[in-house]
Amino acid sequence: MAVTVCSTAFEVLGRRQAASLGCAELPIVLVPHPFGSISRSALPKIAKEVAAQIANLMAEKNTSRASTVLVDHCEMLNVSSDVEIFHRLCIEQKLSDGLPVIPPTPERVQKMLAQSARKPEEVIARLAPAFGDATVARIATNAVMAGCTPQCLNVLIAAVEAIACPEFNLQGIQATTNPAAVWLVVNGPIASALGVNGGANCLGQGVSANVTIGRALRLIMQNIGGAFPGDMDRATHGQPGKISLCCAENESVSPWISLHVERGLSTETSSVTAVGFSGTLNMNIHSKNAHEILRSIADAMAHGPSNDYWCGGEPWIVISPEHAQILSEAGLSKNEVKQHLWEGSKMSASRMADKDLERTRRTRREELGEITAHTKLSISRSASDIGILVAGGEGTHSVYIPGFGNSRSVTRAVDAI
Amino acid sequence: MANSILIHNPRAPFSQGSGLKASVLDHLAGKVVGFIDNTKPNFNHLMDDLAVTLLEDYQVRSVIKRGKRVQSIPAPSAVVDELVAECDLVITGSGD
Repeated sequence: MAVTVCSTAFEVLGRRQAASLGCAELPIVLVPHPFGSISRSALPKIAKEVAAQIANLMAEKNTSRASTVLVDHCEMLNVSSDVEIFHRLCIEQKLSDGLPVIPPTPERVQKMLAQSARKPEEVIARLAPAFGDATVARIATNAVMAGCTPQCLNVLIAAVEAIACPEFNLQGIQATTNPAAVWLVVNGPIASALGVNGGANCLGQGVSANVTIGRALRLIMQNIGGAFPGDMDRATHGQPGKISLCCAENESVSPWISLHVERGLSTETSSVTAVGFSGTLNMNIHSKNAHEILRSIADAMAHGPSNDYWCGGEPWIVISPEHAQILSEAGLSKNEVKQHLWEGSKMSASRMADKDLERTRRTRREELGEITAHTKLSISRSASDIGILVAGGEGTHSVYIPGFGNSRSVTRAVDAI
Repeated sequence: MANSILIHNPRAPFSQGSGLKASVLDHLAGKVVGFIDNTKPNFNHLMDDLAVTLLEDYQVRSVIKRGKRVQSIPAPSAVVDELVAECDLVITGSGD
């Protein structure tokens, strides 16, 4: 027998998750939310109440509990052709991200599917937390809705493969209270073929490929993965990057090997890398001195409430071409930049709140030994866990992209058309 | 009156059934209870207090306390295998 102890605010997630895993009858006992804020002295009373709830479950063994809810599902839907009515339907049925979508008619979906050699019914992955089947046809349907051109399909298929890898921890990213989102980085020939922007304003608006590819993945995560805000998506605030974040690497101006080559692919291979991230922070650094730039970036990375520090994460830096040039001319390789940032961003554990230091002690004990307030915590388990991407246009700005923490980015090759 | 059109459903059918039947014990007395600490603040204390209550007030035979490195990843398979083999009841935590 299994019992889950769940704080009241997470009951919906607990029950929906159990049902998605085929165990709708999983017994759940509730404790007050926020449970972590309850004083130590109050916990023995709650423990007795939890024990009583568990005992009651056994007493009620033979009473029936509402469990199985079969949801009708049709592969095709009959909807109004009026754009405003269709938009309202998508909002009411929670099929969109809140913005208008393009109706995925059979003709449009078929045009998209023609770009892939894969069968429409092929299941690329089952996506957490609802574990819906991401078939090629459903990926194409969501891509149409997001406004993607048909040529984007293979990037999205590779992206779905990437986010479904265990080390990416899609379950955590989809269901967390953190503002966790997926950032897609496109490398190789397909980036220019699709017009994915890696230059000026590459993390912003204005280029269709960037916005629509990122948006399509969000719709896939919502419609196939089942993480709708307030339901199984438990984000406290979320962040704008949850709507869409996709860019290319500015390979032509980078002084270093590109991300996909760093990960073992050839320069001629097209790839997409999925990164679980928590936001973006501009770092405006006018210095022309490499070590000053590195010190400034490292200082920006170190902050007490960071998810990367308490679990040993995977932070990313989008280095502007200007900064990259200065660092390269100072003789620094990409790995040396990572090493400098890793050393320079070590942070005194005393900067954490007591409860966060307590969980850091438990989480990183095997890696770091006993952690005291004086321990210098590294942001990641090794320097190689820091991600570096050269992207952006002219300007003295680089961007710090804190990781989700318990996630590792995954790179997948994109099928050739 | 606008015309209707046919579209592909972007949503996947989600499993809502009970393929797995939740087993429920008749009583706690004499049973072995396992815990998986999800590392969220206070769950370790709740686990300790609940263990005492179950041992003293409900006469469970023994408790086994295990955990995972961080809350948002699954417990190691070795922990799951051990608890499945040794326990009559396993208690896990979810939420903040």
